[in-house]
Amino acid sequence: MELDLDESSLAIGRIERALSRIEKALASRANRPAPVGTAPAADQSALKAEVAAVIGELDRLIAEADRG
Amino acid sequence: MADVKLTIGGRPYDVHCADGEEAQLIQLASVVDEKVRTMPGVTEVRQLLFAALMLADETQEARGKVEKAAPQSDSLRAAVALAESREAAARDELKATVEREKAALAELEAARQKAATAAPSANPSNNRALLQIADRIEALAGRVEQLP
Repeated sequence: MELDLDESSLAIGRIERALSRIEKALASRANRPAPVGTAPAADQSALKAEVAAVIGELDRLIAEADRG
Repeated sequence: MADVKLTIGGRPYDVHCADGEEAQLIQLASVVDEKVRTMPGVTEVRQLLFAALMLADETQEARGKVEKAAPQSDSLRAAVALAESREAAARDELKATVEREKAALAELEAARQKAATAAPSANPSNNRALLQIADRIEALAGRVEQLP
């Protein structure tokens, strides 16, 4: 089934809420004292790679929308 | 032909004129009679001579006025012609503007319809990509929230 504009708006709403969750989690983490055990380096690298990939995908989508 | 009895300077005159012109003839005779009555005590011939001279003078004066007014009349005619040509030009310009506006409206309507038909075909892939990004960012949010 193809998505319509309302579903597109819903997707954007989901993205906004998820970003807000990330922002809140990072702010909360910055205010906490550093934990004794830190996340494994491999996990952190994977997280960074996923963030970069999502940002790249968003950039591609925005460029495509700009081209019409 | 019609018989008409005119009275000029108190003297009767029998004249003929075309049918239907009687009233006009009587009116003209009254003009001559008016002139003749301004010079009593002279002979009939002199009365008519002076009346004829006065009427000739009035005719000449009237002709002079007409000739004097002719240039003004020409100017008026030229002004009217100019106004008419300007009006025609303004009407043409208005018509062209209306046509341009109609064309612009048609173009706008065509663009609107094109956008309306193009949107559904362009949106699905973008929408799918947006949904995938939403999934990935939500997963990222879950992972960030679980960071120690």
